[in-house]
Amino acid sequence: MGNAESLLEIPLEISDVSGQKVFSVSNAPTNNTVGELVHEMLGKMNLPRNDSSGAPLTYQARLEREGRHLNASERIGDALERGDKLTLQPNIDAGASF
Amino acid sequence: MTLSFPFRFAVVIFREDGSSLGTVPIQRDWEPVHEWTRFYFQRKGELALDGNASASVLPLWEQTQGEPYCRGFRVQLEQLGCQPVAFDFPMTHFRDCASAIASRFVAQKLLREGEYFSYLVVAHPAPQEPLPSGGLTVANTSPSLPVQDAALETFLVRANPSGVLHSGDMPVFVSRRVLDEAAERTHAEEGSETGGILIGRLWRDASAEEIFAEVTAQIPAEHTSGSNVKLTFTPETWAAADAVLRLRRRGEIYLGYWHSHPVRVWCKDKACTPEAQQTCRLGKDFFSADDEAVMRAAFPRAYSIAIVANDTAFTDLTFSMFGNREGVTQPRGFYVLEEDTRAKK
Repeated sequence: MGNAESLLEIPLEISDVSGQKVFSVSNAPTNNTVGELVHEMLGKMNLPRNDSSGAPLTYQARLEREGRHLNASERIGDALERGDKLTLQPNIDAGASF
Repeated sequence: MTLSFPFRFAVVIFREDGSSLGTVPIQRDWEPVHEWTRFYFQRKGELALDGNASASVLPLWEQTQGEPYCRGFRVQLEQLGCQPVAFDFPMTHFRDCASAIASRFVAQKLLREGEYFSYLVVAHPAPQEPLPSGGLTVANTSPSLPVQDAALETFLVRANPSGVLHSGDMPVFVSRRVLDEAAERTHAEEGSETGGILIGRLWRDASAEEIFAEVTAQIPAEHTSGSNVKLTFTPETWAAADAVLRLRRRGEIYLGYWHSHPVRVWCKDKACTPEAQQTCRLGKDFFSADDEAVMRAAFPRAYSIAIVANDTAFTDLTFSMFGNREGVTQPRGFYVLEEDTRAKK
């Protein structure tokens, strides 16, 4: 049987696209979803939540260990392991908004 | 790398007759000024290259009226082992906030469209707030600025300037091959926006007290969707770029992105005259709010740059570069490297 930490919370490392903003999370709740994790980490990392028109931006978390993008609905305890590294990658437009 | 606000800023809007429309708290993105200030002092060697400096945004009091009226604000950084450093920013940084607030007053019919207004910025001590309980416990473990040592002069002697160089900007050197590839891709996708990710290295010339960037390659942006006015970067775009960067194993980092502006198509759609096209602001040095948003979300560090390939009907393809200057994305000059670089100390 694992200790309390491994059952309820796990440590993770989260970075932005550039790889120059990296944050360590010591207590990601395993019962929470990936979407909830991303939502909270956007604020912690001071990444924009909205595009220039105010519409919400979508970020997907890419799991380095498996080389795949996680679904927001996946449970942290099911998809992730202790020490996993994630990158928050946005769906975002460049364009001539004139 | 935390940013704290001992004061809360607000805008007071006045009608032309001097009557006040009210005081509205300022909500703005302080990250670009924070990033720029930190990088500015790292370039000068006055801050260490790791990100562990705490920062505060403080008001600069108006000299005649005094507190609570502001004439600007200061970003102050403190780092263990270094003297505190600070940079002062003028009132112009609040102009967009004031305009946005005035627009809301127009929508509320408190101001007429086109009506003259003036504004002041005030600041008051922030209320003590209890520390949040629960939630994620995070630590900023961002890497130190990834610089290698090189002499700036060894790049300058093999480079040609492009655009308007500003003495305060970090020098950026772009390989000719990168621009040629961007041009080729722009022409191949003529009529649609296309783009790529810029990668390269940061160099430090300690004797010159300068950090400069070298763009060594562009990774074509795959898994995008584009039209003549939009280019969408998807999570798959970033993942594919990551894979290329890792495969190259050349110690390169992300420096920004480039994309094309098919101005010839925009002009044709709007039936612009040739004379209008030649002076149109969209033809050169145009960087939209959406373009800036990509920088903010994907390349937030102050050394990041963006290149736009301007595809117009009346001239050969030109390139414009944009970067963070004092917290504002501005057009800037750069240097074109005509050969592969070999850094010499």
